[in-house]
Amino acid sequence: MISLTFKNLLVHRRRTLSTMVAIIAGVAFLAGTLIFTDTLTSTIDGVVADGNADADAVVRAPESTDVGFAQSGAPIPASLLSAVEELPQVAEADVRITGYAQLLDPDNTPVVEQGDAAVVGFNWIDSEALNPFRLVDGSLPAEGEIVIDRGSATRSGYRIGDIATVLTRHDPQAFTISGIADYGTRDSQGGAGAVLFDRTTAEAFLSTPGQVNAIAATAADGVSASELSDALDAQLDGVEVLTGDQFVAEDQGGVDDQVGPFRTFLLVFAAIALLVTAFIINNTYAITVAQRSKEMAMLRALGASRRQVVTSVVIEATVTGALAGVIGIGAGIGVAALLQVLIEQLGVKLPSGPLVIQQASMIAAFVVGLVVVVLSAFLPARGAGRIPPIQALRSIGVENVAVTRRRWVTGAVLASTGASLLFVGLSNRQIGAAGLGALAAFVAVLVLGPIYVRPLGRLLGLPFAASGISGEIATQNAIRNPRRTARTASALMIGVALISFMAVFGASLTTSFGSSLDKNFHGTHVIDSGVEDPDGGFSTQLARDLKSAPGIATSSEFRITSATVNGEPDVDLEAYDAATLDDLIDLGTVDGDLTSLGTDGIAIDRDYASDNDLQLGSEVPVALSTGERETTVRAIYDGSEWLGSQFLDIAAFDQLLPQSLTYRIYVDGTDEAVDAASADLPSAQVLDRAEFFDQVSGIIDQFLGVIYALLALAVLIALLGVGNTLSLAIYERTREIGLLRAVGMTRRQLGAAVRDEAIITALLGTSTGIGLGVLIGWTVVRTLEDRGFDTVTLPVVPLVVIAVTGAVAGGLIATIPARRAARLNVLDALEAV
Amino acid sequence: MHANSLHSDPTHGFTVATHSDATASRTMAHPAASVIGAVKSYGYGGGEVRALDDVDVDFAAGRFTAIMGPSGSGKSTLMHCVAGLDTLSSGRVLIGDTDLGTLDDRQLTQLRRDRIGFIFQAFNLIPTLTTAENIALPSRLAGRKVDPGWFDLVVSTVGLVDRLDHRPSELSGGQQQRVAVARALAARPEIIFADEPTGNLDSHSGAEVLTFMQRAVAEFGQTIVMVTHDPVAAARADRAVFLSDGRIVDDVADPTADGVLARIRTLGGVR
Repeated sequence: MISLTFKNLLVHRRRTLSTMVAIIAGVAFLAGTLIFTDTLTSTIDGVVADGNADADAVVRAPESTDVGFAQSGAPIPASLLSAVEELPQVAEADVRITGYAQLLDPDNTPVVEQGDAAVVGFNWIDSEALNPFRLVDGSLPAEGEIVIDRGSATRSGYRIGDIATVLTRHDPQAFTISGIADYGTRDSQGGAGAVLFDRTTAEAFLSTPGQVNAIAATAADGVSASELSDALDAQLDGVEVLTGDQFVAEDQGGVDDQVGPFRTFLLVFAAIALLVTAFIINNTYAITVAQRSKEMAMLRALGASRRQVVTSVVIEATVTGALAGVIGIGAGIGVAALLQVLIEQLGVKLPSGPLVIQQASMIAAFVVGLVVVVLSAFLPARGAGRIPPIQALRSIGVENVAVTRRRWVTGAVLASTGASLLFVGLSNRQIGAAGLGALAAFVAVLVLGPIYVRPLGRLLGLPFAASGISGEIATQNAIRNPRRTARTASALMIGVALISFMAVFGASLTTSFGSSLDKNFHGTHVIDSGVEDPDGGFSTQLARDLKSAPGIATSSEFRITSATVNGEPDVDLEAYDAATLDDLIDLGTVDGDLTSLGTDGIAIDRDYASDNDLQLGSEVPVALSTGERETTVRAIYDGSEWLGSQFLDIAAFDQLLPQSLTYRIYVDGTDEAVDAASADLPSAQVLDRAEFFDQVSGIIDQFLGVIYALLALAVLIALLGVGNTLSLAIYERTREIGLLRAVGMTRRQLGAAVRDEAIITALLGTSTGIGLGVLIGWTVVRTLEDRGFDTVTLPVVPLVVIAVTGAVAGGLIATIPARRAARLNVLDALEAV
Repeated sequence: MHANSLHSDPTHGFTVATHSDATASRTMAHPAASVIGAVKSYGYGGGEVRALDDVDVDFAAGRFTAIMGPSGSGKSTLMHCVAGLDTLSSGRVLIGDTDLGTLDDRQLTQLRRDRIGFIFQAFNLIPTLTTAENIALPSRLAGRKVDPGWFDLVVSTVGLVDRLDHRPSELSGGQQQRVAVARALAARPEIIFADEPTGNLDSHSGAEVLTFMQRAVAEFGQTIVMVTHDPVAAARADRAVFLSDGRIVDDVADPTADGVLARIRTLGGVR
């Protein structure tokens, strides 16, 4: 049986190949995603490890909440350094001071944008063991001088002796560049911009004089890292001591927390691609098993057991899957490289490094691919094994085309369940119900496929049929085997539905944001940092300056940090100039008094208050990276899509997070006044209302672009499936093609018929996909009405583009099978069985 | 009967415009198809096999000719070459005045579509098309409509009036072959080639199909060339040409079943 299996694989090389292409694509995407994220993690991990290579112990303040990677916790007194140095177990020790410092190039624009990579200032550490930077040119920074990383030097064109402006929490300041340094052996910290100061300047500009972020130490000869940290722990009070390895592990854990969601995001798309692959492979095996049912029946008549017949198909699938898995992993390396380019092209800057290929990830991709193939092949094989040999020998090897009653019932139940859940979600504004309804509708469309394929296919075929007999034959061929066509079209439907859904969602998000901007924003300008993660931003000095600037009616500063609020971790906690916020952003009805927040008050929205059973006067514990504080609810406002569910006053951040930066400022003032006030701060982008709208819609479009690109692969695999099904169908219809050619169908007409069939199949997929995507998009957007979505926008042009692209691609993918059909020798074809 | 009379004979009760000069110019003196020095060989050198070995034969217009011969005698090859489905190694085939050797694939396809009709042994029909669509297929491929009067006449002749909307899977084997006959007739080709048209049918259905073919010759002046190894089928023809080992070994006018059977025995191979 096994030798027969291998013979089958070889004899049907073309079929084996076309099956493999789909699996290769699916596995390659999965492997590519894993390689890409492994690379990302390991690049950042490498930077972290390099930065702490030789530190045996790190002393820092205890953390009250999870302090993320590149976030700094509470400072510790610089005076602790002498207590550390006193210890006999310590060889070398120095303070670590880090904070926001952004280098401007000679044209006064940032050398590294905060949205692209970190911009960090450090104190220059003299100990070689404790300083990851190595001076490659010039001299160490004295007062009024800085050392910059070689990457920044290359990018800006600065040379030693040049004068450069550096942005910090304080006013912009000019420094002389005294030296250029490498980060270990790299020219920068994975693309981040570094500015290195002497210790006094670092304390003044990055932290507060007398305060440092940490103290790092190396162990004396014969002292282990843990002995050193134990000794430090015994010597010092009120601080936390970690060994170097612990510190690196903690920071790398932070890296993983950052990369993790991104990996999950990409894996979702890999899963979609694999789902589509499963459809294609299942379809391929369903067709080939049907084509071979006679051969199988013959084997069974000759005495092969049902199990042997099924096993032979499964073994064939295993061999195909394994081979394709290996190739897929190889191709995955290319996909990873492509992802790096793609992500960068779409404007998302990530640190990149040489591709990292981890064994575990590759085994995972291989196994997943193999399991998908074997499962997809097993079901049709089992079905074929069940057919009594005599029946199969008599039949002419065509799949059962009858639609079962069970399919009708299941489809109807799913469709009505989906419809009612969507309706419930819509009328009660329950996104959970709407989501379940969308899922049920999705499955219903899949189940009902073989039923609607006939009428819908006939409808979509009308324009083709009108153009002549070739179109009519194409239409008939597209719907002659509804289950097969439904599977082929469904694979395409999945990707198109998701794209359409995102298109509706994104377009509605943009228009809803626009109308909310009109209704709820009362200011004239937004001064934005363009930063995406919390804790970045620009100097808080600008917000203070605006308060007294002429021509500015009012302004409200906005900062943001990651915090634990009321026990809930990783909340993006916001802070505003609470007293003026209501003048600029519509907060609805406000109970309590926003002006009374002070340093220990918190404002929450009404839903949050009722969900957490909080009233005015309730206590809400807030843990920031620098420490914990009990806050009192002093104001309750209506929810707004412009704000989170809770915020503090800027005064609280000033006290608790002195190093925090301005994320954004909402302003009401004249163009001239706003421009003049922020002229010195190139990292602050002044946007008027229209520009602010453009920026936000640009971010939405960028996000959509990433999603479209990732879904495009699922669509591509599905289109391969269209070509695959068609190739198999043509093989099956060889006799019929011979007949058509004999009675006078020209090669051109035959090619057109094959192409039209592919287009009709593709249109079946895109039209149901667009229909379903729009339906779900519409429902979800309407369900989210009270969360800022006030308009459903149908992006007509993109949807038409999707439909046309799908049809054109379907036609293109048919080129090869069409040519093969047209080239068939008429006599050979006529004599085919 | 003269082929031309089909278009002018008022006794048919309808008139049809002449649709091609070739049809109009058919005469008894001018055969519907001619084969001159036809050789078809496979392989080269010592391994060469001659399926047709210097065959000369004319197929008269308006006549029903049977090509007989044992398996491997070359009768199917001869039909394929005359019908433009296969090409000769040397020699010429004329359909009317057209030398098939001068045509490229597209022109051959158009010739088959416009001037030749086919009836194969089985699987004659496109399973996705209805009876009416199958019958009209060659004309539709040419971008023409079948003359409605002619269509009705053909359909009623083969007795398919109440089966027009059926698909092949809903028809019996005999009905399917009748549809194939109707399709061959519908485009009014100069010549119809039938390859074992009754080979897959029971004797009753087979006889029925042969009757329709005879009527097409007698009433419509249709030229038919039929390959068969069934003496009973051959006996329905006006003439039987016998092939053996790629050569024409006999040519009998008005064959009878017994005569054909006897002739085949001497050729040594009834299946």
